[in-house]
Amino acid sequence: MLAISVMNGLVIGVIYALAALGVSLVVGIMNVINFAHGELYILAGYFSFLFASTLGMPFAPAMGLAVALVFLFGLLIERLLIRPTYGNDMYSLILTFILSIVLQNAFLLIFGPYPNKPPLWVRGASEIFGLFSYGNQRLAALVSGAALIALVFLVLQKTWFGRIIRATSQDRAMAEWNGVNTTRLNMLSFGLGCALAAAAGVILSPVFPVTPTAGVPIALTAFVVVVLGGMGSMWGCVVGGLLLGLVENLGAAFISSGYKNVFGFLILILVLLVRPSGLFGRAKL
Amino acid sequence: MTTSVKWIWPAVLVGMCLLPLGVGIYPQHVLIVSLFYVMMAASWNLLAGYTGQVSFGHAAMAGIGAYTSGILAAKAGLNPWIGIAAGTLFAALLGLGLGALCLKMGGIYLSLTTLAFSQILHIIIVNEYEVTRGTMGLQVPGLIPEYSKLAYYYILLAATVLVLFILYRMIHSNLGLNFRAVQNDETAARAVGVRVLHLRVLAFTAASAMAGFAGGLYGHYLLLVTPEIPSLDLQFYVLAMTVIGGMGSFVGPILGAFAINILAEKIRDYGEYHVLVFGLVALATARFAPEGLIGVWRSLRRRPAR
Amino acid sequence: MLLEGRKISKRFGGVQALSEVDFHVEEGSITGLIGPNGAGKTTLFSIVAGALKPTSGRTFFEGREITGLPADQICRRGIARTFQIVRPFASMSCLENVLVAAVNRHPERPRAALEAAARDLLGQVGLADFADQEARHLNVIQKKRLELARALATEPRLLLLDEVLGGLNTQEIQEAVEDIRALRDRRGITILWIEHVMGAIMQAADRVIVLDQGRVLTAAPPREVVSDPRVIQAYLGE
Repeated sequence: MLAISVMNGLVIGVIYALAALGVSLVVGIMNVINFAHGELYILAGYFSFLFASTLGMPFAPAMGLAVALVFLFGLLIERLLIRPTYGNDMYSLILTFILSIVLQNAFLLIFGPYPNKPPLWVRGASEIFGLFSYGNQRLAALVSGAALIALVFLVLQKTWFGRIIRATSQDRAMAEWNGVNTTRLNMLSFGLGCALAAAAGVILSPVFPVTPTAGVPIALTAFVVVVLGGMGSMWGCVVGGLLLGLVENLGAAFISSGYKNVFGFLILILVLLVRPSGLFGRAKL
Repeated sequence: MTTSVKWIWPAVLVGMCLLPLGVGIYPQHVLIVSLFYVMMAASWNLLAGYTGQVSFGHAAMAGIGAYTSGILAAKAGLNPWIGIAAGTLFAALLGLGLGALCLKMGGIYLSLTTLAFSQILHIIIVNEYEVTRGTMGLQVPGLIPEYSKLAYYYILLAATVLVLFILYRMIHSNLGLNFRAVQNDETAARAVGVRVLHLRVLAFTAASAMAGFAGGLYGHYLLLVTPEIPSLDLQFYVLAMTVIGGMGSFVGPILGAFAINILAEKIRDYGEYHVLVFGLVALATARFAPEGLIGVWRSLRRRPAR
Repeated sequence: MLLEGRKISKRFGGVQALSEVDFHVEEGSITGLIGPNGAGKTTLFSIVAGALKPTSGRTFFEGREITGLPADQICRRGIARTFQIVRPFASMSCLENVLVAAVNRHPERPRAALEAAARDLLGQVGLADFADQEARHLNVIQKKRLELARALATEPRLLLLDEVLGGLNTQEIQEAVEDIRALRDRRGITILWIEHVMGAIMQAADRVIVLDQGRVLTAAPPREVVSDPRVIQAYLGE
C-alpha cells in the first residue's frame, strides 16, 4: 500500500513537475500566467488519441505530432492574445482564463463529456524489487517524464538558448541591453511552455484518460507547484512537483481520498504564510 | 445634459419596477437571475475594473453566502435573513483573509489562490454531502412565506439598488480617487501616500461581501443550493459580462449582465452553445476593445464631434 | 540633521549600484546631489523614498529609522519626491492629481476645502488654467510642474527633486531656481536635489554631495566641489 502510493506519487509528481516547468518558463520570461495551461495538456491528449486510436498511427509519432501541434498553437496564442497585452498583466490573466473556458467548451462539443484514452504503449506489469507489481504503462510514464525533465535541464544549462532564457528571467532589462530579441524570445518560450504541458498530457493520458475539464486540477496543481518552488525557479518545479505528487497520494491513501486535491491547497496557504517567495525563490525587490 | 443625467437614475428605477408587470413567469425568472448577475458583475468590476485585481473566486464567494445561509436555515432552522447576513459576513472574512495573504505578493498570486480556493470549495461541497447534499443540491426555505416571483423580483431589485448604491458611493469618494491613482501608476500613487495594499484588501473584502450577499439571496430564491453557484462556469459568466459590458465603467457591467443573461436564454434554445459563443465574444472584446461595449459606444460618440 | 544615510549599499543582480554610501542632509538646506550618469543618484533617491529596499545600510529621518518602510509610510512621515521620468496620473485631471496627495495627507478634511487648496497649489506652479484637463494632455514641462504641485500637496518636510530643470531654457532655469529657493525660504521645506544643470545647482545649493560609481566622492559647499580635482576627473572620465 505504502509502496504503491509512493510510486503513484512519483508518477504524477513527474507530470506535475513537467507541467510546472512549462508554467515557470513562461512566468520567468514574460511574467504571464497561462490559465489555459491545463487545456493545452488536454488538447495534446485528444490529439494523440485522435492520431493513434482513430487514425491508427503508431503511438510515438502520434505523440510527437500532438506536441508539435500544441507548440504551434502556443505560438499562435502568444501572437494573437498575449503580445498585444504585454506590460498589462491583468489582461493576460483575463484572456487566458477566457481561453481556458472556450477550449473546455469546444472540447465538450467536439469530443463529448466522456473520457478518451489513447492506446497504451506497453501492457502488463512488472515486479518491483520482488516486492509488489506495478503497471508497465505507469513505469513508462515515469521514465519518459523523468527523461524529458532531464532534457529540459540539459537544454537550459548547456545551450546558448538556455543561457538566454536564464539571463532574461533574471534581469529582463539587462538582457534587452545586451541585444536579446525579447519579442521572439517571448513567443518561443510561450510555445515551449505550451509544449511542456502537451508533453505531460501525451505521457499521462494513457494512464488517466482525458475529459474536457480534466485539465483544471492538473493546471491548478502545476500553479501551486510553481508558487511552492518559487516563481521562475526550475529546480523548485521538480522538487515541488515530486513533493506535491507524494503528499497527495500519501494523503489520499492514509487520510482521505476525497480530499486528494485539497492537500495541495493547504500547502499553498502554508507557503504564502511562512515563505511567500517559495522554497527556491529569490525574495522580491 | 445635467438635467437628463439627474433624471436618468430615478427613471431607470421606475422602469425597473414596472418591468416585470404583465409578463409571464418565465421572463420574470430571467429578470430575477439577471439582477443576481448585476450584483455579481458590478462587484467583480470593483476588483478588476477599479483596483486591478483579477479574482477567480467571486462565484465561490457567492457559493459561501448561499451555502452558509442555506445550511443555517435548513439544518439549524435559522431565519434566512439572518442567514444571509451571516453568509455575507463569512464571505467578507474569507475575502479579508485571502486578500491579506496574497496581495502583498502581487496580483498573480491573488488570481492563483482564488482559483485554487474555488476548486477546493467545490471539492468540500461534493465530499461533505451529508451536510451539503453534494451535487444533488441542498433544499433551502424561501425568504417569504408564500412563493411569488414578483415579490422575489422586488426583493432582488432592492438588494441590487443597495449594492449599486454602495459601489457608487465608494467609487465617488476619496477611496475611488485613490483607486484611480493606483490604476494609473502604482509607484507614483505610493509616493504620494496612497496605501495601496490596504486599498486592495479593502476592495477585495467589500467585493467578497457583496458576492456573498448576492449568493445568499439567490440561493433562497432558487430554493435549491447546488455547486453550480460556486462554479467556474458562473465565474466565467460574471467575468464575461463585465468584460463585454465594459470593465472600469459603472454602467458597463450592469448592462453587460442584463444583455448577456437574456441573450444566453435565447441562445440556449438552439443547444448548449452559449458558453462557447460568449467565450469567443469575450475573448474578442478583451483583445480588441478592452473598455468593452461602453468604451466602443463612447469612442463612437466622440468621433463625429471632432 | 534631517536625513541621514549610513553605509547604504544596493546590488541589482551582478551590478553594484551603491556601495556603503554615507551622507546627510541638514535641516533647512538645499543640498545638491550630482555625479556622472550611472553614479547611483536616482537609486539613492528611490531608497530614501521607500520605492527600493537597500541591500544593506540604514536611513534615518528626523532621527528615526525609516529603512525599508513602504513608500506610502515614508510619504506620511514627510518625504515627497518627483520622478526623473514624469509619472502623472495620466487619465485624471490635474486637480485630481493634486487631490490624491491632499486626501491622503488630510483624510479628515472635507473635499471642498482640499479642492480649494489643490487649486491654489496648481495656481502657484502656473497650472491654474489646466485644473480640469486630463494630465496626459500636458507637455513635459507642465507635467513636471504638476508633479511638483502633487509632491507639495503631501506637505513634505523634505522634498526630493530629480532633474526638474531638463528641457528649460536659460531664462526658465533662472525662474525655476528662484521658485525652488522660495520653497525653502517661505515654506521651510528642506530640499535634496539631483540635477545635471550644473550652473543652477552651484548657484542654489548650500552643500553638494558628489556620487561616482556608487560611492560618495565628496560632500562640500559648491565652491569647493567645483575646484576639487577628483570631481573634475570623475566628470571628464565619463
